[in-house]
Amino acid sequence: MIQRAWRNLAGWGINVAIALTALRVNLMRSILTTLGVMIGVFSVILAVAIGAGAQVSVTESIGALGANMAIVVPQPDSDGPRQTTDRGRLTERDIKAIAKQVPGIIATAPQLRTRVQLVASGRNATTEVIGVTPDYAVVSNVNTDEGRFIEQGDVNASSRVAVIGETVATKLFGTYDPVGETVRINRVPFKIIGLLESKGSSFGNDNDDLVVVPLGTLRQRLLDTPAQGPDDIHIAFVGFDDEPSLIAGQKAIKKLLRERYRVAKGKINPFTVRTTTEIAEVTGQATQIFQALLVAIASISLLVGGIGIMNIMLVSVTERTREIGLRMALGAKRADIRNQFLVEAAVLCVIGGGIGLALAKVAALAFVAYADFPAPIGFGVAVGAILFSAIIGLAFGGWPAIRASRLSPIEALRSE
Amino acid sequence: MIPLLETHALIKDYVIGGEVLHAVNGVSLAIQRGEFVAIMGASGSGKSTFMNMIGCLDTPTSGTLLLDGIDTKGLSSDELAEIRNRKIGFVFQQFNLLPRTSALDNVAVPLIYAGLDRVERARRAKAKLEALGLGDRLANSPAKLSGGQQQRVAIARALVTEPLMLLADEPTGALDTQTSNDIMGIFQALNDQGITIILVTHEPDIAEYAERRILFRDGKVIEDGPVAKRRSAAP
Repeated sequence: MIQRAWRNLAGWGINVAIALTALRVNLMRSILTTLGVMIGVFSVILAVAIGAGAQVSVTESIGALGANMAIVVPQPDSDGPRQTTDRGRLTERDIKAIAKQVPGIIATAPQLRTRVQLVASGRNATTEVIGVTPDYAVVSNVNTDEGRFIEQGDVNASSRVAVIGETVATKLFGTYDPVGETVRINRVPFKIIGLLESKGSSFGNDNDDLVVVPLGTLRQRLLDTPAQGPDDIHIAFVGFDDEPSLIAGQKAIKKLLRERYRVAKGKINPFTVRTTTEIAEVTGQATQIFQALLVAIASISLLVGGIGIMNIMLVSVTERTREIGLRMALGAKRADIRNQFLVEAAVLCVIGGGIGLALAKVAALAFVAYADFPAPIGFGVAVGAILFSAIIGLAFGGWPAIRASRLSPIEALRSE
Repeated sequence: MIPLLETHALIKDYVIGGEVLHAVNGVSLAIQRGEFVAIMGASGSGKSTFMNMIGCLDTPTSGTLLLDGIDTKGLSSDELAEIRNRKIGFVFQQFNLLPRTSALDNVAVPLIYAGLDRVERARRAKAKLEALGLGDRLANSPAKLSGGQQQRVAIARALVTEPLMLLADEPTGALDTQTSNDIMGIFQALNDQGITIILVTHEPDIAEYAERRILFRDGKVIEDGPVAKRRSAAP
């Protein structure tokens, strides 16, 4: 029994040796065949890694947004077709009412935003400017590296002060310290009072490419198209203590705003209230679909690689029919011949898979280095890729191998 | 004592273009251990088909084939493979060595299928090659060997499993006269050591090295008797 098992094992070892010899003898062909599987495994692993990276990135971005937050925007909330007559409204007074009446709120941050032209020290840049109240720092986890953030006094006085992001600072001032300098925003001079702590980028968006000014200042001096009312805002962030109060708070905000705008029963809300939890769910699902799609497309190249293996194995069997006949004459059983070709296909695939894995790792590192995009390749994925390659070899090499083993010894031996 | 090989009314039919061709048409004969037999006949006489059947490479349409007392009828392809491995050594006209493979590895191939380990395979293959005067050519690939040397490697391969008989199909067909004489000398020496040799040839000169001559025509044996003036390869 043990002897038999040992014989089987030794037999496989021999098959590997025979296979490696055959592959070495046809080196160029082997390399070209391996290329198919290599590219297939490379793309599948990279697709998995990019998908995983996207998920990490999404989680991080939502974290950066701030946890347990409700986002209120003056856009009609409807699942059905929107009616153009349903215009959205949201004002600072609404937000103040929310802060007063909805329980569990830490801070509220009404906001206006617009694109502007910046000029400072002879250089210029285009960026987004957001008008905020001091609570923005609390809700959005914003800190300053240097100087200070917008304070209530700035808001009350509608001061021309600005806190700038790192990208803007670099564009306008290079390595020079910008705090205390003047920047012209749409020709209006602002004093720079602080530099924002870097938040990196997410989804290819540079989170440091912005300027922050007091809310009223933006409204009065920088808005091209005047807002509908004197205290209209574009968006408001409402930070809650915890998730339960966020969930309850979302309903309470909706109810309150419906009352304030006298929305009749069955009519569409002229505003939308989303929570970070919902956004996380939706984007999580989106990235999962995105990953599945990527993997599906990459799998096609792996399938093509597998068919390439089958093609080459069929050619190999045909070319070596005489050798198969000789081996049968010398005592090879059908299983020996079958295994020889199976191992050959599996070895080709595993080598291709290994190289594909290594290349995917290099590409993933390049993603991290140059695009600042995480593309993690787990140990499980790596092992799975190699195993999967072997399975492809066995699956696509199976038919040629069985065909070889079914040859009649004398027919095979006679073939030219 | 039972004959090494015994056939009764052995028939092999081929169907070509709807017509039945009797390649071997009722051959009954026996070959004893230690014989040196030459099977002769023109091309198409059925000698090769007969050879393939007794080598268990091909199966008869009907009739009986007893090898070492074993009826080969109904044996599975794996059982036939085992008989070929253990009891028969083949020598081919075109040598049929694996290209880009050393002489030693070529000779060791049958031992792979016999399930021997690497060390034992190398030991036996080396011993056989040395016995055939190729001790200094172990690492050479077929491309680096002369025709005669290649055929000696093939003979070593045929002998390495210590078979009961050696089946040689036109073994000198690709060799010049001098080399052919050398190869036949090796066969005679092996036969003197007790190995049964069955040789297929269409050359009367080559057949004269054997002891017994069987002549095929149209799938039947038309002559079977001792070689009158046996040639010896020994100088």
